[in-house]
Order: sequence, then structure tokens, then C-alpha cells
Amino acid sequence: MDLNFTPEEQAFRDEVRAWVRANLPAHISHKVHNALRLEKADQQGWARILGAKGWHGWAWPKEFGGPGWNAVQRHIFEEECALAGAPRVVPFGPVMVAPVIMAFGTPEQHQRFLPGIMSGDVWWSQGYSEPGSGSDLASVKTRAERQGDRYIVNGQKTWTTLGQHGDWIFCLVRTNFEGKPQAGISFLLIDMTSPGVTVRPIITIDGEHEVNEVFFDNVEVPVENLVGQENQGWTYAKYLLAHERTNIADVNRAKRELERLKRIAVLEGVYDDARFRDQIALLEVDIVALEMMVLRVLSAEKGGKSALEVAGLLKIRGSEIQQRYTELMMLAAGPYAVPFLFEAMEAGWQGDQYFAGGFPGGALHAAPLAANYFNNRKTTIYGGSNEVQRNIVAQTLLG
Amino acid sequence: MDFDFNDDQAQLRDAVRKWVSKDFDFERRRGIVKAGGQQGGYSKEVWQSLADLGLLGLAAPGDHGGMDMGPVEAMVVMEELGRGLVLAPYAAVALMGVAVLRDHVPAAVQAQWLPRIAEGRARLALAYQERKARYRLDHVTTTAQAQGETWVLNGSKSLVPVGDLDDGVAEAYIVSARVTGAVDDHAGIGLFLVERGAPGVRVQPHPTQDGSRAAEVTLTEAASTLLVPALSQGAHPLGGHAVLEHATDIGLAALCAEAVGAMEQLLAITVDYLNTRKQFGVVIGSFQALRHRVADMKMQLELARSMSYYATLKLTAPVTERRRALSQAKVQLGQSMRFVGQQAIQLHGGIGVTDEYSAGHYVKRLTTIELTLGDTLHHLGEVAARMEDTAGVFA
Repeated sequence: MDLNFTPEEQAFRDEVRAWVRANLPAHISHKVHNALRLEKADQQGWARILGAKGWHGWAWPKEFGGPGWNAVQRHIFEEECALAGAPRVVPFGPVMVAPVIMAFGTPEQHQRFLPGIMSGDVWWSQGYSEPGSGSDLASVKTRAERQGDRYIVNGQKTWTTLGQHGDWIFCLVRTNFEGKPQAGISFLLIDMTSPGVTVRPIITIDGEHEVNEVFFDNVEVPVENLVGQENQGWTYAKYLLAHERTNIADVNRAKRELERLKRIAVLEGVYDDARFRDQIALLEVDIVALEMMVLRVLSAEKGGKSALEVAGLLKIRGSEIQQRYTELMMLAAGPYAVPFLFEAMEAGWQGDQYFAGGFPGGALHAAPLAANYFNNRKTTIYGGSNEVQRNIVAQTLLG
Repeated sequence: MDFDFNDDQAQLRDAVRKWVSKDFDFERRRGIVKAGGQQGGYSKEVWQSLADLGLLGLAAPGDHGGMDMGPVEAMVVMEELGRGLVLAPYAAVALMGVAVLRDHVPAAVQAQWLPRIAEGRARLALAYQERKARYRLDHVTTTAQAQGETWVLNGSKSLVPVGDLDDGVAEAYIVSARVTGAVDDHAGIGLFLVERGAPGVRVQPHPTQDGSRAAEVTLTEAASTLLVPALSQGAHPLGGHAVLEHATDIGLAALCAEAVGAMEQLLAITVDYLNTRKQFGVVIGSFQALRHRVADMKMQLELARSMSYYATLKLTAPVTERRRALSQAKVQLGQSMRFVGQQAIQLHGGIGVTDEYSAGHYVKRLTTIELTLGDTLHHLGEVAARMEDTAGVFA
């Protein structure tokens, strides 16, 4: 047992840190450190910088053009990016669909899709959820009917995160209506510029356009865009979700945000208020415990052992912590979290013409806090709601 | 970074677990508690078994009859003793007491005590608890005055772990006493060795909530020898208060590990019960409200285990980092122990509060652990006071 990183791991960290500090544009990290609104150009810009270095697919094995890092190296890379204020890599391409294509796709599919994901040039979206499906993913109703060398797709996906930027979307579609719901699902890659694809925004309670509905109206999809076998899509979807759950804990971002919480608490004069400070201290303990749990999983993975029993807990705890720090930031600002100035969450907001300091009370740092709190209500709902996660944990213990 | 146990550690775990399952079942524990009566549960046979297994010398140096093992081995042993709800002042003597001797006293004192402790022929535990101190180690009203070569102590200490008063085992206490300074000063506290049979030492044993034994130790012009001077000097780089903190942190890590073992077993007992007990024609483990509670217990157990590892692995860190880590760990453990304990009883229903069933006794031990060496609020205060130390670390 050893809590310390090895000298090799430490050297790796130094190398990654130096590269990230040298290559992460300051205007992007400024937005991240202050929770200002990120544009497509920021997210894709960082993706392309990573891609040029061969790190956008940082978890990929060497045979597919990745760096071939082990679990601990991947963690160190993610931590260095998060602490430096890099935007969270949009996971749908490099983290979610790429491993499925690698594991179950054909050599032709590898060559066709993986380079565009690694380079950051092709923006992928996720087509899993449907109206009414919630956490019951197997209830997929979007149909794909085989007609010769193509599928005709009809139906609707929803909660499609950043789908407004999407070039491609990976979808669970129903190819068989008989038998168990899980048995008739296929995994299809769809070009979002195809005729019959319509993306409509869903505006969330923070006023943001982050998620979308995607409609498919007689969309023609070539059969070579099917991944793996027809009707085996459920297996691939579960494989993908296993990747999503470790990524979703996001303890590195939590560490960065804890420091932002402390900065806000100092600005708002509650850092030395014992009642408020205790809440920060509790959150700090929660984050250390989450980090230790993540490191236990990584250590097991590095040693080739399964840590699934603990990995299932990461999504629950990570999402609760994300909600808690946004909640405490809002509470720190108190009444100055109440003004809702949508434009004040933009970098370069020229608010001085309306208010001294650009915001009521001059508290410009408070502009995104309530919106972030409202936005983060999603974390315990998406990726399989925390209640569904508890069902899974209970299943492993109780049968 | 590595969280695997090596082969020696795995063997050590097996040996302790084997002894627990063979020689220390719940009925034996009940017998010891009952026999302890108004003095509290203690078994010299159990203590001798721990000596025979080599566990009393676990942390002692090899040249003093010990096994020279480190914090991870101590953690492994504590997890297993916790799992079996073993009733013995093991951590107080073999980990905390031995640590003071091993790291902070002259060689002659080490030679006098460590081999006998390892063999089970002597017990040595810290006596620090004073009324109104709550969990502060610097609240010391017991006084020490030099009289030639010896020191005379006056004062009273509570909750001192003790064994049998007449089992022929030499017993002594490492007493914190004030040499100079005001009641809450860090400085001016020395550590003194007080033998149980010395003149002016009164030991009144009593039972504790977890079925164990502790004593109120009253010192009236009691003779003692100086172990650690009040102020740092030459051969003693640390003063008494810093040594007390070191021993306390070792004790905290041990309690965290014991609690993990106890919670793991308590969760297993609860899961078994939910899969056996029927209501409304089905096993109650089929009800989602209860299943989610089990998932939450598992969460608290794994968070606790994570922080128990953290506590143990930080014992060798620089003092500021060590103190913060141990307090962070006890905050997590305190919350986990209370949640797992309360839910275990609730999920059992009435049987959970009966004396003849084991679950309630696990809960009593977990509760006692929370109230030992600083509860959740105390350590939350310690974490909050040390938060400046982390500012900027992650930036």
C-alpha cells in the first residue's frame, strides 16, 4: 500500500502539466475558472489542441492512435487538465462512442470514424434517451427498418446534450419488436446532416440551450453504419455506460471547484463564519473521500482487477458532490445570487454601463452561481438516475 | 500509488481472522461481558491469545521482542478485531502505548517495558482524559512537581483502559500532567509513567457502553517517572503535547480501521437478515425502500474504508498534513458509523435492539468509537481550522 505516486508517475505529471499550461489558451481557462459560458469554439478549440497532440482520445490504446496510458496516467492527465481550467472534454466522441467502435466495429469503421474523433474535427452526440424512456433505457422506440442496403429511421431522441453542434449521432434503435425489450436493439451511427434529421432546442431552467430533441423522419442510414451485429446493441450500450460511470464522478473538477468556493466565500465574507466554514470543511472531507475511492478503483484497474463494486458508487457520490458545491457557491453569494443577467455570464461582458462593477452590488462573480446550481440538478438524474444506481448497488449485495 | 495488500499482510489478516472465528464468537464475548460485572468486560485469556499471536508486539522493534510492523499491518489487524467485535484494549496498549515507548522515550525505559508488553506480561496505556477537556489534549489540570529524581502527580483521569487488577500483569499509565503554564496551553505538558501499584494511585474500574472496561484513575501525591519532558530539549525533540498528538493520531487510524471491520460485518449481518425475514409473504429485502437503505450503507462503508486507508497511509506524513488527514478521516468515519449503525438497527426492527442479538452490540461499539479521540464535530472543527493550509494546493 502506498498513497504516493511513483517517481515515474510524478515525472509523467510534470510533463502533462507543462504541456497543458503551455497549450491551454488563457481566454478559455479564464471562462472555466469563473464559470462563464463556453462556446462551441472554446470546446472544439481545446479538443483540436488535444487532438493535434494525440491526447483527445487520451484513454485510447496505441493500436487505435491513442497514447496507451494506464488507468493512473489517465487520471493524472484528467486531473492536470481540470486543475489548469481546461473545459471538460465533451465525452460523446472520444470517451463514449470511440470505445464501442474499437471493440465492436469493423476495420473500415475504425478508419472511417476514429481519426475524426481523435482530431476533434467531428462533433458527436448521444442518441440514447427518448421521450418517456427516463432511466429505462431498453424501452427504445425509435425504429430502424432494413430496406436493402440501408435502414429507414423514424422516431425521436431527447436530452441530446450539445446536439445543436453535432455532426454525427450514435443511436440506440429498435430493429426487432419481438421478445424482451433488450433483445431487439441495434447501435447505429447517423450523419446528422442527413435529410429528415431535425434538432430542436430544449431550454433548461437556467435559461441555457444545452440539450435538444432530435427527430428522425424517414432518415436513410447506410447499413455499413451499423456497429456490430443487428439486435446486439444492448450489449454495446452497457459497455458504453460502464465507461460513462467512471468518467462521471469527475473528482478533479470537484477539487478545482472547492477552491473556487473558498475564493467566493472570502469575497462574500462568509469564509470566517463558523457555520458556513463548517459546510466547506464537510465538503472538503467529502471530496477527499471521493478521491480516495476513485484512486482505489484506478489502482485496481492498473493491477488488472475489477473494482466494479466500488465503481458503481462513484456516480452517486460524484453527482451529489457536484450539486453540493454549486449549492454552497450560491448560498455564499446569498442575495447577490438572485439577479438574473443572462449576458453577465459571457466573458467580456461590458456591464459597467448598467451597474457599477457590471452587476448589482458590483458582485459580478455571483452572476453564474444560481444558474449553475439550477443546471446541476441534472447530475443526479442523468447517466442512470441515482435511484437506479442504488438499485444496482443493492442488487450486488442482496441479489 | 497502490492499494493492494502484500502477501505478508494478507497472511496476517488470515491469521487474525482465523483466531477470531475459532476462539472469539459472539457467545464468548457475551460471557466475558457478563463475567466482568461491575468492572466491565476483560479477559486475560484473550489478552494472552493476542500475545501468543504476536500481536501485542506488532509495532514494537525486533530487538525488544516485537515484530517491527508498520501502520498498514496495524490497520489489517484492527479491521479484523473490529469485524469480530473483539473485546480488548489492543489499540490503546499495543499501538498507542507502544508508539510512545518506541518513538519518544529513552532506551532504558524501552528495554524495561516493550519486551514484557509483547509477551503479555505488562500493559501500558495513555491516561489523558480530563473532565471539561472534551477532546482537547491541552486541557490538562493534573499537575506534576519535581521531587529530586521523581515527580509527584496530583489530579484525575477518566476512561483509562485497564485490565484485571489482580492477574499478575504489570500495569502502568502514561499520564499527561502540567509542569508549567495555564490549563489550555499546548506548552508545559509532560508525560509521566505511573505504575498502578504505586502509592497515591487509585484505580476504579467500571464497564463502558460497548461492554469493555475502563477506569477512573485518581492521583494523590502519586510517585511517577518522567517519560517526555514538557518542553522540547536535546534527546526529546518533541514536548509532551506533540507526543500525545502523535499517539492520538495512531489511535485514530486504528479506530477507523476497527470501525471499517465492524461496519462491514454489521452490513453483512443486515443483508442476511433482509434476505431471511419475511413480511407480507415476501422477504423484506425485496422492498425498494429497504434496498436503497442498504445501498446507502454500502456507500458509507466504502467512503469510510477509503478514509481509513487515507488515515493509515498519512501517519508517516509531516505533522501538519498528518493531523489534517486524521481529522478528515474521523469526520468521515463518524458520519459513516452513525449512519450504518442506526440503519442496521432500523432495518432489523425490534430484534436489532435486543441484548441477545449481535447487531446492537456492533452499534454500541461503533458509537463508543465515535466518542473516543474526538467526535465528528470536534474533528470538523479541526478540519475547518486547517483549511487555509489547503488554499492554493489544487490551483
